Amino acid sequence: MKKIISLAFFTLVLGVATMMGQAKKPTIMVVPSDAWCNAEGYVQEYDELGTKKTVADYQSALQNSMELKLVIAKINELMADRGFPLKDLEATMNSIARMQAEEALITSKTSGAEIAETPLDRVRRVAKADIIIEIGWAISHQGPKATLTYIMRGMDSYSNKQIAGSTGASQPSFSAEPVVLLEEAVLSRIDDFNARLQEHFDDLFTNGREVALNIRVFDNGSGIDLESEYDGYELIEIIDEWMELNTVQGRFTKLESSETRATYEQVRIPLFKESGAAMDTEGWARQLRSKLRKEPYLIPVKVVPNGLGSCTLIIGEK
Amino acid sequence: MKKLLLLAAALLMVVGASAASRKQKDGDTLKFQYEIEGVNNGTQGTYLVRVWTYSSSNKADIETCKKNAVHGVIFKGYAGSKTVRPQRPLVTNPGAELEHAEFFKLFFQDGGEYNKYITITAGSQEVIKVGKQYQIGLVVSVSKDALRKALEQAGVVKSLSAGF
Repeated sequence: MKKIISLAFFTLVLGVATMMGQAKKPTIMVVPSDAWCNAEGYVQEYDELGTKKTVADYQSALQNSMELKLVIAKINELMADRGFPLKDLEATMNSIARMQAEEALITSKTSGAEIAETPLDRVRRVAKADIIIEIGWAISHQGPKATLTYIMRGMDSYSNKQIAGSTGASQPSFSAEPVVLLEEAVLSRIDDFNARLQEHFDDLFTNGREVALNIRVFDNGSGIDLESEYDGYELIEIIDEWMELNTVQGRFTKLESSETRATYEQVRIPLFKESGAAMDTEGWARQLRSKLRKEPYLIPVKVVPNGLGSCTLIIGEK
Repeated sequence: MKKLLLLAAALLMVVGASAASRKQKDGDTLKFQYEIEGVNNGTQGTYLVRVWTYSSSNKADIETCKKNAVHGVIFKGYAGSKTVRPQRPLVTNPGAELEHAEFFKLFFQDGGEYNKYITITAGSQEVIKVGKQYQIGLVVSVSKDALRKALEQAGVVKSLSAGF
């Protein structure tokens, strides 16, 4: 018995030790750019209040373009060599579709109830990654010569900022196949791209992850808004103070503020919780909710994550 | 007796000349006086570069050229041209060479680890006289991916996944 307890304790200590000091590894996914999808016809059209809109159709692009598959496979291979395997777009989309199909068939044994899903859940069910590598290319011909123009951008899904990029054109070629030109473009640019990615990671470790926080108020007649006073301070002042104390070096920008809404951008949140576990935007925002739920505020707050790098706190009820 | 003295003197001269030559060679090596330029976008995992080594002799010391090429990929990188993409050095921290001086001393010693990451392109040697010096050009392929991995293991450069 003593041995089992010792073993369990040892496993627990080992688990905590492993968790401490390890930031959540960002997931990276390669997707074709909207411009490329549009040029190649891999788009879906829909009507939005009488206006025709298009949206990139990744599924169709992956099923029909060998060049796209080659680029994704090549980038994946090169990133895996650097100890950073990518999240595969095709596999992720297949997994979402399979999960959707399976969930539609699940019912409970006793009441026959289906799995609950809000309209918001349906909208959010898309392929996500912390960093999106967007690629696009075009081949232009001048007489018998073909030139490949290539663009590769690394976008931080949290801040929507470009964190790495590489562009350029190949030498005009008489004989090279587009796939060969593409492979060469990827090979000659990936090191520069990764060097910029490394700079972004260094910045993350030094200054924290950049996210956004939105504060909104439910119009439920409760009388609570951001100008409500507690111990002589308005609620927005209390939130501002919490932000100063809970961001890396107190770094954030308050974009707008009124009695019903406040928006914070360029908020640098720490990568780790006090326990040493990895921190994400929702977990960080929940800390503010915990504070507001306690005395003397006792305010019910709903936390709505919007993507990976943004969270909305709605004050007034859940 | 005279013959013996002459033989001893000749031996001394040979040993002295050899030592002077070695000193010269080591001096050239340790100075890392070279230029590096991209020749073509190498195959996967490699850079194809031409290294121009400065030397007081017109005879190429291949080992010095090889050391310079690896040193260039690690610390200098190279500028691009119409046909070649520019590449950054593997080590971007400016103080890394001094910080890891002991590691690089062993790495660049004669027959050291640098040798594992380089392949010479046969027949690529060029010699240009510049003033009193010679520039010796050699095209080499440097296995930059393997080299980076070795530097990561030695703690000289950070792995992309470090800290995660």
